[in-house]
Amino acid sequence: MASGGQIARLAIDGLAAGAVYALIALGYTLVYGVLRLVSLAHGEVFMLGAFGGLYAARAALPAGAAGAGPGVLACIGLVAAGTVAGGLAGAVAALGLERAAYRPLRRRGAPRLAYLVSAVGASMFAVSLAGKEFGRRDVPVPGLFTDQTVLRVAGAPVSAETLAVVTAALGLLLAADRLVAWSRLGRSIRAVAQDAECAVLLGVSLERVIVATFVLGGVLAGAGGFLYAMTFHASYTMGYVPGIKAFTAAVLGGLGNVRGALAGGLLLGLVESFGGYYLLDAGYQDVIAFAVLIAVLLLRPSGLLGARLGRPA
Amino acid sequence: MDGLGRRLRLLGAVAAVAAVAVAAAGCGGGDDKAEAKKEFAIGFQGPLSGENQQLGINAYNGMLTAVDSANRSGTLPFTLRIVASDDQGSPEQGPTAAQKLVDNSRVIAVVGPIFSGATKSSEPLYSQADLLSVSPSATNPQLTSLGFGSFFRVIAPDTIQGAAAADYIAKALKAKRVFSLDDRSDYGAGLSTALEKALKAHNVTVTHDSVNPTKDYTSEATKITAAGPDAVYYSGYYAEFALLVKALRGKGYEGRILAGDGSNDDQLIEQAGADTAEGALLTCACGDANSDPKAASFVAEFKRVNSGTKPGTYSGEAYDATQAIISVLTKEGTGATRASVLSGFRAVDMPGVTKQIKFDGHGEVQGSTVYVYEVRGGKRVVLGPTTALLKP
Repeated sequence: MASGGQIARLAIDGLAAGAVYALIALGYTLVYGVLRLVSLAHGEVFMLGAFGGLYAARAALPAGAAGAGPGVLACIGLVAAGTVAGGLAGAVAALGLERAAYRPLRRRGAPRLAYLVSAVGASMFAVSLAGKEFGRRDVPVPGLFTDQTVLRVAGAPVSAETLAVVTAALGLLLAADRLVAWSRLGRSIRAVAQDAECAVLLGVSLERVIVATFVLGGVLAGAGGFLYAMTFHASYTMGYVPGIKAFTAAVLGGLGNVRGALAGGLLLGLVESFGGYYLLDAGYQDVIAFAVLIAVLLLRPSGLLGARLGRPA
Repeated sequence: MDGLGRRLRLLGAVAAVAAVAVAAAGCGGGDDKAEAKKEFAIGFQGPLSGENQQLGINAYNGMLTAVDSANRSGTLPFTLRIVASDDQGSPEQGPTAAQKLVDNSRVIAVVGPIFSGATKSSEPLYSQADLLSVSPSATNPQLTSLGFGSFFRVIAPDTIQGAAAADYIAKALKAKRVFSLDDRSDYGAGLSTALEKALKAHNVTVTHDSVNPTKDYTSEATKITAAGPDAVYYSGYYAEFALLVKALRGKGYEGRILAGDGSNDDQLIEQAGADTAEGALLTCACGDANSDPKAASFVAEFKRVNSGTKPGTYSGEAYDATQAIISVLTKEGTGATRASVLSGFRAVDMPGVTKQIKFDGHGEVQGSTVYVYEVRGGKRVVLGPTTALLKP
């Protein structure tokens, strides 16, 4: 059973799923770092981003060309367009969420619990709206790729689609990591996370940082949504399970820790993939993910890498 | 946007029936006798929303066609109306949907439920209320042996489909190793059990697995590919089958992929993509009305009522179920009650568009043919009845 090819196959599946979890998890972790808030509606940002990317890809794909299969360059262009559009839609959704569900509470100095309730409400609203607008069923992304194997890694076939998803997701993760570590914006995000009051005294605009954090999280989740929809489907309920899994990933790595969310997402994807194959059957993947969440909360609540967005990465 | 359009069309269709009913009542009112025609409602229970809504919508449209034609014929001593109850195809929501119809005293009989799981959970309510329910599509073998006095179906149970599919796989496809996967639903588990039993009788090596409906079939596809079967048979609905096919082809699986009637819908091709779905085989105890010359007038009528939509899987069965109910109502006239319709229905014997509608003592329709469909060039094509395909 445990042939090399099989292990490589499972690793690739895990990596593809994990990279998407990590994209969503970064949003959780950034917002938590800055606001000490678990934005439970983040899964819906992911879902709305998926639809944004899907409609962009549909618009960009010339009718009739789908059957013949566009060329390699056109494919890359389409994936890029879908990812960018997904990111934009995610950013708009995250901004709207912040405006409508969180900012009014913040102005009023509402208790923590109010944010949670508000997030759940926003999430239900977004799901119902999407169900009404996009239909209450699975919506496929137009087939960009034929399902042919483009390369083999240690004997495991990799389809063009998987390759595109993994490359795009890892690229975005790397870019986000560098953005937080190097840019001026990243520095102010980290400063606010470390000590908000002090950062404000030193001239950091808190509102700007909050908005930027939501936008960054929204871009990553939205782009992740499109990549996820490319592999599976877009549907109005698609945000729920990946949203909770990404939250698990963020907790696993240490809520508030950027590298932690990255590592947590990839690790969760791998654990699911291998666990689903060797320990239990594939139907138990979700069980594995949530067992991991419970285990982390019991054994190491601060996560594997600890919470430290504020500290130098 | 598609979903929205469909929903609007459905609403429009309901409104059209209502308008016909109102117009008919209006005419009666204008008469000197000033006596409104008696109105009977026929209930519909099935998925009109949710991931597998298309199968419910197909059936609903078939029912609408029968009711609309009956109302327009002008020969009925009463008018008919549809009361639809959406159960989203889920066993949990079945009883609620059924209760809604049971509580509505105008509902004299029901077409549905559509899915087996929902049927199993809803039938106790119908039985208790002596309310006839005729399913066009619930194929789980057990359903007719659970003592539901009010349950009939116009489609063959999965014991027949499973056995025919096994014949086809073993003799026509000549598969030696088959991977049988079900979705753990009442329908899926019933079909996979019947299939595997018949496959083993053909000395085919069978690997069985069950996965609850999910989106991520990657690791299952890895497992299937590792087992290296000649054919994969999925017992479940099209939303999941589309994803499974996609995952299998993505993993480079090159054998035949088959599924049962729950996956037999054009939505499969739309959701998996025409390229990916190419070559997928589907078995169904249902013929395709669109390619049956004897059903041409039904198809024309269906298109007229449903603004040009073609009949889909279970549309013909739902039409037959409704026609059978109407025939009993016609016989009994305006004095019909739930109990009298139920007892009258046992004696139904009429030609339908899909088959002769005549039941045995358990509510099972007599005699049935299983057809094989193949996806070719983005369309479902009927290859023929399994019995014909086995001939060398």
